Amino acid sequence: MADENTQTKKEETKKRPKRQPNKNYALKKRLPVKPIDGENVIFITKKTNFKAQLDKCCDLITRGEKEIILHGLGAAIQRCCNLALQLEILFSGTCQIEVNTGTVDLVDDLEPLTDELDFDSQVRHSSSIHIRIFRTAMLGANQ
Amino acid sequence: METAEFDATLGGTEHLPYAANSFKFTASRSVEIAALSESILKPSKNKLVFQSLPVHMRRRVMSHNSKRLPRRLRKAHLEQLKKSGQPPPQKRPSRKHRRRPANLLDEYNRRQNRNVWLETHIWHAKRFHMTERWGYRLPYAPCDKAFRACYRGSSAHCLMQDISYYVPIQVKGPLDEIREMFAKITSSLCGLSICAKAYVSGCRQGNIHLYGVNTYPYNYIGKVQFLWVSSNNDDKTLLLFVHPSQVKEVESILLDIMPDQDILREETFKKRRKVSNIDIKIMPSSFNRFRLTGPNSHAILVQSLKCINNKSLKNDKWISIHEPQYLQEKEEYWNSIMNAGSPSQLPPNIVVGLVVKDPRLSRPSYRTKAKLNSDSTITVDTLLTVPSFLSISPLWDVKIHEAIKEERMSNGQFIKHVTETQLVPGVVNEDDPAWHSIPIVLIQRPGSQKSEYKKIGYGSGWDVIVPSGYALPFWLTFIMFGARSGGLRESESVAFETGECYLPPDSNAGKGNEKRIEQELRDKYFRLPPSKRVNYIKLGINSPFNCPWNILLSDWSNQQINEYYILRNRVLLNDIQDCITKKTSLPNIENATSCLVPVYIKLVEKGSLKNHAQICLPESSDLSNIKTLFEPHHNDSNEKIRKLNRTAHIEKLKKLRKRNMRLKKKKLQPVQKKARKDIRRQPSEYVLKTRELWLPSKIETVRHNNSRQVMGYISQGAFSFTEACSCGIGYIAYNALNTLLDSKHNQVLVRNTTSRKYRLANILITQNA
Repeated sequence: MADENTQTKKEETKKRPKRQPNKNYALKKRLPVKPIDGENVIFITKKTNFKAQLDKCCDLITRGEKEIILHGLGAAIQRCCNLALQLEILFSGTCQIEVNTGTVDLVDDLEPLTDELDFDSQVRHSSSIHIRIFRTAMLGANQ
Repeated sequence: METAEFDATLGGTEHLPYAANSFKFTASRSVEIAALSESILKPSKNKLVFQSLPVHMRRRVMSHNSKRLPRRLRKAHLEQLKKSGQPPPQKRPSRKHRRRPANLLDEYNRRQNRNVWLETHIWHAKRFHMTERWGYRLPYAPCDKAFRACYRGSSAHCLMQDISYYVPIQVKGPLDEIREMFAKITSSLCGLSICAKAYVSGCRQGNIHLYGVNTYPYNYIGKVQFLWVSSNNDDKTLLLFVHPSQVKEVESILLDIMPDQDILREETFKKRRKVSNIDIKIMPSSFNRFRLTGPNSHAILVQSLKCINNKSLKNDKWISIHEPQYLQEKEEYWNSIMNAGSPSQLPPNIVVGLVVKDPRLSRPSYRTKAKLNSDSTITVDTLLTVPSFLSISPLWDVKIHEAIKEERMSNGQFIKHVTETQLVPGVVNEDDPAWHSIPIVLIQRPGSQKSEYKKIGYGSGWDVIVPSGYALPFWLTFIMFGARSGGLRESESVAFETGECYLPPDSNAGKGNEKRIEQELRDKYFRLPPSKRVNYIKLGINSPFNCPWNILLSDWSNQQINEYYILRNRVLLNDIQDCITKKTSLPNIENATSCLVPVYIKLVEKGSLKNHAQICLPESSDLSNIKTLFEPHHNDSNEKIRKLNRTAHIEKLKKLRKRNMRLKKKKLQPVQKKARKDIRRQPSEYVLKTRELWLPSKIETVRHNNSRQVMGYISQGAFSFTEACSCGIGYIAYNALNTLLDSKHNQVLVRNTTSRKYRLANILITQNA
């Protein structure tokens, strides 16, 4: 029974368009609230070149940063994970990874398209990932 | 010994008279004296005055500086200088004299006669290249090479501009009448109307496109920012902030469409005093407006603006005229949004009226970057709600402006007061009753809110509106907290980066701007020696310095088109964007022949885009061999004519010179020098003819001038830092876009004016043109 239910639900979600366009409002996005920023904090985006961000992380670690924190939001989560795994391979044995997941509240503005309506806003939730990469041994120790 | 003496008393022959008659004496020598004095006053023709002096009295720069001459010779010397053509140089008063406060003020007032100065003018004039625009003397760009730094400011830190030149226009009257009035000059298709429910409460600022009276879509005037002043009574107050290039048009149109005064007079004879219900007032320089762009602008405002609450309310003069309300609640709200990381996290376009302490109190002693305390983060609930009391501000009350200005403490007074009263050095008592409180208004700008188009939050920031007289204290405080100042160039570049057109070409302001740019570029082009000039005829470009929209549209519609417009209909623009992505043909619209579609152009591969570049229609084979696609060389038939003309001209000059020499030898004065000088100011007939041969001004067609058909032009193109590639904002003729989509393409070719290379580019429709 339960399986059948989930299957029908899945089909329904497939048929339904992802977000229904509203005739009365235009959806506008705001900047998400950022966690604490710092030199060793990197926000992974989909637009920035993957290699560039990987190089940036490598630079930070080799420069002697004790830990770096990667934040990924929504569709960038996968990239964030990939980057962390790449780093783990690159610095094998000297770095460890700690992963946290969470949910971020995003605010969307609803801009009216007709004169009779007022501005509105809605809260959307998005999953987020926070990866802490920290040193366990000094880089030169293995050699 | 006999001596030949002359005098009789000494044994000579002559008897001398006992007295000499001086009159007789001088009279007999008058001819001699006259000759002598004349030779002194009017020295011989081939000698200058100072040359008549003995060598030991001559000084080094005598000919330049008449003060070195003996006073009796100065007059003659000056006359001689005048004769030789040089006007006698006037000596500049000494710097000490010029810097005396009264003299300095006189000088400043004299210089302001021609152009209006902003309040921060002197600060800017020391650090910026200044230009004259729209009757103002405005900062163009900072003197240090800060183009990239200013971009970085707008994207990561804070860029600040003084935009006090925007003219506020106050429209007062019943809501219905204002609605009727603006219905004539706006269109509901372009977006929300001015009386939309979202704006009337006054909580948010809006933008609206203004057109001529009932002429939509033609006669575009410009985009105007407006906000309603929240009040309780029926008469509403609307504030328009109009760009100075459009003020005159807006003013005349508003006066035109005011409900007819004569009819009203007849109808309601009793109400004769109140001729019209609507009152329009133009208030230039009654506010100062600063534009802060960038995420850090919020931190700067938080650090520099300290709210006043009911307890610390002073008895300033303006407070007795207009009591500020909801101080406590506003302070609470301001404190609650203190921790926002960027202005783009806040509700878009909100208006926040605050009453703050004197900004000089919170100024750091050296330039520091304002930072937020990162202990606590902002809660989502505060971001969702906009309290209704927030926008109320006493600043809009015109009555208090005088009082604020009167009571203003000048910098000198401020420092004097601090040094007199402070007990601990370096610490200022913030609760001193001598400090005044100032009403200000903050307006949020959301920046980009579409992630597909531009990164979210680019271009977001705050507009700060400050009463007149207080510009410099606020400005300096923001600067000391790390804001980077920019000028007009930065306004252009920020508009370019956000994908907006700064002064669209279908408005008079835009046309004027295009004309100015064309003239500047033309002058620069013809200042180059001919060997360094780009031969645009050989490149097949007949309008390198402007975009001939009229001819372009006429070519694409096979009829003469004088008036054109840019499509601003939101629904249609969305439809066209869909058509471009799906490669389907465009919908039929009215006035398609005179319609330009605003597009954002992004190069697919490498290459750079420049202003006035051509957008061309690709042929089906072009996409595969784009790398070798060049415009073939054009033949310059004028080159030979230019050469012939030049040799003939040189010959003519030679002949003239020879004739002059001959005349000189015969001691006949040749052509008067003065007359020749006047002619030189204007280009001669020969020069004009050659210029015409370089750049023929008569353009018949632009569409079929090249191997690829021209669809449109890029009005602003450059390397875009936000996109990390060359981008441009341009306009394409509607019919041309239709032809492109009919051939099942959605990419275009782009060619710079100085190059033969065609490059492939993607097109996007821009909504905010």
